[in-house]
Amino acid sequence: MIKDRLTPAQHAALWDDFRGGSQEAFSQLYELFAADLYRYGYNLVRNKQLVEDCLHELYLHLHTKRSQLGPTDNIRFYLYRSLRRRLTDALTKLNKFDSDDYAFDNAEFLIQPYESDLIEQQTLERRKQIVVAELNKLPKRQKEILYLVYMKGLTYQQAADVMEITMKSVYNTINVALTTLRSYIKETMLREGLFVGILLLALFSYFINF
Amino acid sequence: MDYSLFKEEDFCEDTAFIHWVISPTEESNQFWTSFLKKYPHKMKEMERASEFIKTIHFQEFEPSQDDLSRLKQRIWEDIETPVRRLNPWTRLAYWSAAAVALLVMAAGIFWWTLQPTTYQTAYGEIRKITLADGSIVTLNASTKLIVANDLNTESVREVWIEGEAYFDIAKRNGAKFIVHTPEAQVEVLGTEFNVCTRRKSTKVVLHEGKVKLQAPHTQAVVMKPGDMATVSDKDQYIQLKIVTPKNYDSWKESIVVLDDRPVSEIVQMLEDTYGIPIQFENPLLLNKKLTGRLSLKSSDEFVENLATILETEVEKTEKGYFFK
Repeated sequence: MIKDRLTPAQHAALWDDFRGGSQEAFSQLYELFAADLYRYGYNLVRNKQLVEDCLHELYLHLHTKRSQLGPTDNIRFYLYRSLRRRLTDALTKLNKFDSDDYAFDNAEFLIQPYESDLIEQQTLERRKQIVVAELNKLPKRQKEILYLVYMKGLTYQQAADVMEITMKSVYNTINVALTTLRSYIKETMLREGLFVGILLLALFSYFINF
Repeated sequence: MDYSLFKEEDFCEDTAFIHWVISPTEESNQFWTSFLKKYPHKMKEMERASEFIKTIHFQEFEPSQDDLSRLKQRIWEDIETPVRRLNPWTRLAYWSAAAVALLVMAAGIFWWTLQPTTYQTAYGEIRKITLADGSIVTLNASTKLIVANDLNTESVREVWIEGEAYFDIAKRNGAKFIVHTPEAQVEVLGTEFNVCTRRKSTKVVLHEGKVKLQAPHTQAVVMKPGDMATVSDKDQYIQLKIVTPKNYDSWKESIVVLDDRPVSEIVQMLEDTYGIPIQFENPLLLNKKLTGRLSLKSSDEFVENLATILETEVEKTEKGYFFK
């Protein structure tokens, strides 16, 4: 989950301090966001060396170009976008990709079953496991969208910007996720309904036979 | 954005809501707490949406502290020209890192305390909780209690409950204490009472002091010690009955006191407490009224004793108990 709990105003203030030349603010940018960028990067390329190289470049770039950077009130979004671009470029250099394609062959966004703190019926747990399994079947690119929106709290627009795709693709993916959930709920209800139906039928035929 | 019209799915899609679930801030906490106060009936939908959002939880590789400090050193080495002495800077970086870590920790703790607290008991579990204002709440099995975070400062202390609990409210300079149930609200100053909100109705038994009970379509009723009030959210009036209060909160000691209560009521109570369905071959037994005391410590024992009293046999089936 997200480690920093800064409000947009605090993001903007920290970013402005940093742009104004504060070394402490720069150091905070590292302490607050490096680990999280590392996680995102590793999920994309599964290669520690590559992630570290890109982060190294990214922070150096921030430090030297700070006076030329624009304002932001969501540093995470800003940094995610820069890191992802750097990783794409690095991979393109390595493999000569079509820049249009999803460059991250090794990406692995895996949704893990999450232990609920609600102690409800076990059926809820089972239901969730099935939803998780369904979501894991989605293409990597779509899972990356879910990762950015539901795990990292980016808005649809920001997620679209980071991945350099259209808002429409983000909307569609979110809809796929919700449909998965919805169809599963429906299915469970249907199955329960079917059970009652079969039971009634069995009773009915029993009486007919007599 | 008119959140009062939102359904579960709308919450799932709303980035402001998502952001609050995965990373609450002071601002968002304030916003959603006051929203819930205004629309308490949205709680279920918001809860389910938040469950769904949390379900989408990705596996992440956790960089080690070594990885991070090695990387940091590499960056800082390249930033710093060798002319500017390296040592004091590293020390400064360490100090600021420590300060930031401390700051982040303090902020985290601060925000954590602002979160409303939720307590939930499992089937068969009874738990006693002391709230921040000194009030003591005993939760019966399968009960959920949400406590506002500001019991010590706000002039109105508020909690939300689903299930059954016994409240011993501490007096605090005339600050009201309100227990919200799905069907009604109980308003008190300082007193002891039992609230049971199961099967779509709320039952309040007053032990001591004075409470005011209110439901959406009824006039408020002021209860006296020994009163038992029953109301559902569709009722036009609140039903009052004089009872022996201690018979209604004996569950705290895991004892059921039966004072001429029908078997059907006991069966309901048992299903609520243990979540085990009970069936009767002879439905007439359900109308039988019983008097006496039974221990609730173990469901097997309780059911066997009940069978003995009813002069019948009981069988433990895969799903529950079957009285012959």
